[in-house]
Amino acid sequence: MDATDPWIRWDWLGRHTDVIWQALLQHIQLTAIAVVGGLLVAVPVGLVVWRWRALRNPVLSVAGVLYTIPSLALFALLVPFTGLTIVTAEVGLISYTILILVRNIVVGLDGVPAEIREAATGMGYRPARRLLTIDIPLALPVIMAGVRLATVTTIGLVTVTALLGEGGLGQLILSGLIQDFKTPLVVGAAGSVVLAVVADVLLAGAQRLATPWRGGR
Amino acid sequence: MRDWGFRAILSGVLGLSLLASACGSSGGGSPSTTGKPIASQMILGGPPECPQRPFCEKGLMDKYGLTFKDFKPLDAGGPLTKAALDRGDIQIGLLFSSDGSIAAKGYVVLNDDKHLQNADNVVPVGRQAALKADATALLNQIDGKLTTADLAGMNKSADIDKQDPAQIASDYLKKIGVSTSGGSGKGKITVAGFNFSESSIMAQIYGQALKGLGYDVSYKLNLGNREVVEPALEKGDIDLYPGYAATELEFINKGKGEATPDPAATVKLLNGYLQAKGLIALDASGAQDQNAFAVTKATADKWHLVNLSDLAKNG
Amino acid sequence: MTIFGQVVQWFADPAHWDGSFGIPNRLWEHVQMSFLATLTAAVLALPVGVVLGHYGRGGNLAINISNVGRAVPSFGILVIAVQLFGIGAPPAFIALVALAVPPIVTNAYVGMRDVDPELKEAARGLGMREHVALLRVEMPVALPVIMAGIRTAGVQVVATATLAAVVAWGGLGRYIVDGFAQRDDVQIFAGAILVAALAMLAELALAGLQWLATPRPMRASIRWFSRPMRTDELVLQGG
Repeated sequence: MDATDPWIRWDWLGRHTDVIWQALLQHIQLTAIAVVGGLLVAVPVGLVVWRWRALRNPVLSVAGVLYTIPSLALFALLVPFTGLTIVTAEVGLISYTILILVRNIVVGLDGVPAEIREAATGMGYRPARRLLTIDIPLALPVIMAGVRLATVTTIGLVTVTALLGEGGLGQLILSGLIQDFKTPLVVGAAGSVVLAVVADVLLAGAQRLATPWRGGR
Repeated sequence: MRDWGFRAILSGVLGLSLLASACGSSGGGSPSTTGKPIASQMILGGPPECPQRPFCEKGLMDKYGLTFKDFKPLDAGGPLTKAALDRGDIQIGLLFSSDGSIAAKGYVVLNDDKHLQNADNVVPVGRQAALKADATALLNQIDGKLTTADLAGMNKSADIDKQDPAQIASDYLKKIGVSTSGGSGKGKITVAGFNFSESSIMAQIYGQALKGLGYDVSYKLNLGNREVVEPALEKGDIDLYPGYAATELEFINKGKGEATPDPAATVKLLNGYLQAKGLIALDASGAQDQNAFAVTKATADKWHLVNLSDLAKNG
Repeated sequence: MTIFGQVVQWFADPAHWDGSFGIPNRLWEHVQMSFLATLTAAVLALPVGVVLGHYGRGGNLAINISNVGRAVPSFGILVIAVQLFGIGAPPAFIALVALAVPPIVTNAYVGMRDVDPELKEAARGLGMREHVALLRVEMPVALPVIMAGIRTAGVQVVATATLAAVVAWGGLGRYIVDGFAQRDDVQIFAGAILVAALAMLAELALAGLQWLATPRPMRASIRWFSRPMRTDELVLQGG
């Protein structure tokens, strides 16, 4: 729109490292709360759904359908009740992470071979011990994949929360829109991509560390 | 592909899409019909809340008797509105009188000959509990020095030179001799701004000055429009924002029409409403920023437009 | 009256069904844009993914393009598109196409890669030329996975088209954005309901298309309401 405005003004970057840093920190914070909060809810829910097979299809189907609700619409449904606050942002973000994580937890636990579980029971493992030492570790790759997906998805969605007054790097994108200014726009968008890629790589590394028996991937 | 059903659907889909693109792209400008009010041939562009605002489309309808062909929700006198004016998506757009780029882009601001706009002087609006005596005194002092020319210059730096609002604010404070650094621990203040650059600049001016007094200032800039910001103030999510006296009044009194061209009187009326909510408006500045309805030079020449009431004439 | 009652009233109000701000117009804008953007993305992305998958080239790129594509913030892409192409429908269209291409490419690639090599050899043995085998043997077998990618892309396009209202486009997102600006909670809620309903409808319609495209014997083994598992297995399970 403004043809004379270069895509990146390096001097602006130099003068605003603290602004960019703050935005990045807020972005990471919003993401972390959403993923960790999502795990805290998804693990018990996933375990329950996994144990009671009757719940399986209904819960996963409903979750799959809810996942299609666009993020702006979900935030919009919350605003009349929780206002333009971090609560609205986090409730929306956590909703999506829960949907992803529950599914992956259930599918992951499902993937544990029945023979191994029976062997463990046969060896005298009580249900709780079997869960902690057999089921969950073997389900870990799929669960970790879910955590990776939830994290990358959330990092993208956090930019939308700029419309709620939060936003992290999305704030830079928004100010780029309002001021017709390309540099913060590019920094915000590119920063978000880089953050997502870095998070994905780090989590993939953590996944490898947590499941050393699986060999490289 | 084996499935007949699938093949049928695919053909239907392709056919529909061709139909859709044919239908969709035929919409466009209709030829101007003479003998009808000029306004009815123009599309108005402005922020989404414009149709219900007494100094915006609603006021144009009530005071000038103008009914536009359509309204396009864009932004608050920002780049989207200007782009729409340039492209011809809209023929008249809401801009702000202190906008530094109006002259540069060759827009023609139509005269407010029936005086729809009133004293939209900059005024700090905040929570009484958060604004102590020293803060109030300093903000009033700044307001006393701020002029409309100052605003226009600062806006130009932001919009055309792409300078950072925070930088512009600190340069201005330095110019008028107000300190921006000084200890901490006097209390927390959250300053908010509307979703246009001038508001970010004003919020930074107030906020940095308060930081100079020793307050811990945080910002919520580009928070939204008044419909968003004022309730946030009432709730206590924010403590202060730079308002515009007449529009604040007409917002709070739900469009009763009490605002006048006198800033001090307008602020007095405003405080009558604010006190009950635990809020306060400080002294109004001499600096004014009003709604300005602008057209491109081509449009102005086409219909010989000078005043807003010209839009009611037939053309 | 509760907000739900007010929302019902909002839908019952005939003024909301009329004119450029009315539900039919906004719905049409949204559907038309989503449809054309997804179709265009498919036209651009399918040949690339299918050919790459057939020859087994560019595997890492094809798989990772989806992961990176998922990392790109749609809000950012929209605003960048406006900077490049001005306001209105063109930037929204281009941004949506850009977002829809990665999942279609990745799924087309993986779908073609997963075609049983013995099947390809058999076709060759029957004397089929390569491009004939590709079109009439490999692609039908890969179709379910390809359709899964189009389904993912389509739903994402409907969702991002909602955001395009922030950059002065229309569509159903307008009710949400205007409602935010006017503090009209009822409008926000009604808009959200409309958008959510359309998204679910799109998902169902595309799932139906995927079902039709799946050869009968394979239909039972696909999880229809699934969402992505591992980031690299995401293509297989209909999401």
